[in-house]
Amino acid sequence: MEQTKPFYDFCVPFNKDDKQMRAILNELVELGYKTIAIDQSFDHSKKDAGKRGSEMFPAPHSIEHLRKEFADKLKILQRITILYVDANLSHAMSVSYNLRKFNLIAGQPKTDGALTHCCTTFAGDIITFDPVAGSRLLVNRKAYQVAVRRGMFFEIKYAPAIADSNNRKDMIKLAQNYSIKGKSKNIIISSGAEHEFQLRGPYDVANLAFIFGLSEDQGKNAVDRFCRQIFLRAESRRLGKTIMFVKGNGPIVFSDSSDENQSEEEDDEMDGVVTEMSKDGEDEQETDIKPANKRLKVE
Amino acid sequence: MYISVSIAPRSLRCNMVRIKNRYIAVQIVPYATKQTLHLKDHILAKCILQNVEKHYGVYGLGVVEQGFRVKYCNERTKIAVIRCVHRGQRFVSSMLPLITLIGDLRAKFRTLYIGATIIQCNKFIIKHQKQFLDRFMGQVESAKERQDLFKRVMELDMDR
Repeated sequence: MEQTKPFYDFCVPFNKDDKQMRAILNELVELGYKTIAIDQSFDHSKKDAGKRGSEMFPAPHSIEHLRKEFADKLKILQRITILYVDANLSHAMSVSYNLRKFNLIAGQPKTDGALTHCCTTFAGDIITFDPVAGSRLLVNRKAYQVAVRRGMFFEIKYAPAIADSNNRKDMIKLAQNYSIKGKSKNIIISSGAEHEFQLRGPYDVANLAFIFGLSEDQGKNAVDRFCRQIFLRAESRRLGKTIMFVKGNGPIVFSDSSDENQSEEEDDEMDGVVTEMSKDGEDEQETDIKPANKRLKVE
Repeated sequence: MYISVSIAPRSLRCNMVRIKNRYIAVQIVPYATKQTLHLKDHILAKCILQNVEKHYGVYGLGVVEQGFRVKYCNERTKIAVIRCVHRGQRFVSSMLPLITLIGDLRAKFRTLYIGATIIQCNKFIIKHQKQFLDRFMGQVESAKERQDLFKRVMELDMDR
């Protein structure tokens, strides 16, 4: 299994200015984040619907030099946020090749219909909201529960809430709505910070969760465990059904009952993940992952 | 049969109540990194209380104000310890990330540690400062400067 370390920040907007990007990443290291995702926003509704079959989604920005620079300090993922209005993008998503290059896919619905679609059938991991346009979209109870059952996560961004008191009110309203409709299940908090001054440490974020109506546990999980769950889920979607070969380089020890308990716990962690893994060894050295599905090709 | 059971009156039993405090160790990170900090503890206290009132209104201020105190504030290492009562703790800690202006200085707070006794807080700060020293001792050349830095960073007086 791919290793990730806490704490997580799954929304760092991409900045063309390399210097600014570095400053943000350095600050993230300083604050104690270990896994982050660089966000790239894409407006689906502006594209003309005439073109069918061709590639709709942009290729990810090249961040190899950043990855190399922060290799031992940060694990950098890539994420795309799709802004959309109507439900007919699911076809485009299923045939897109570029989309599979991203680690995480987030949806940002603009209308009520899109929001319901996002909760029920959207093939992504995260549902996010525009912090600037206000909270005219509020999720209803039914859709929220469906989304929770499917393992989707709702995102709250805190940087706009720090910058402006009007946005703060809107974000609080949105977050309290989750609390009312379904006890704030499946919520993660990420930064969305344009400037390094808007970033806060993970413990600060967990404390900030109080005003978003989350309990202490939920607040801490929002920057830690839930993000790990999203990552696992996203990886399993990217790879589809996989066959894993596990090679050990020690003597073969037949597992006793205590080992079995451990593997069960791991299964719990991966709740909602559809991958079928043949075996998951503790002492795995090399894992070869071969996509068994034809349509899934991962580089 | 007569069994004598001696139970203290309720009022007596409840007399031994411990006042629970929380000590929050924070670091102050100024907007411009090279800035020197002129920060007195009363400015810090005023700023935090003002922000509590801004976000939680008069009720929040009432809960927090009793027992609120800035116990320690070091301008050089930019570390402060805030004491508040246990029940007001979440009002204070949840609002610290929202502050961007302390007095007339653009700065943000970074929560380092929340402890129940000041001794635990002290222990943590000393550990934190040692880490800080490990990183910056290498950059200082002369032995005297090094001693100076050590003295500046490790000074702790909690008698406020």
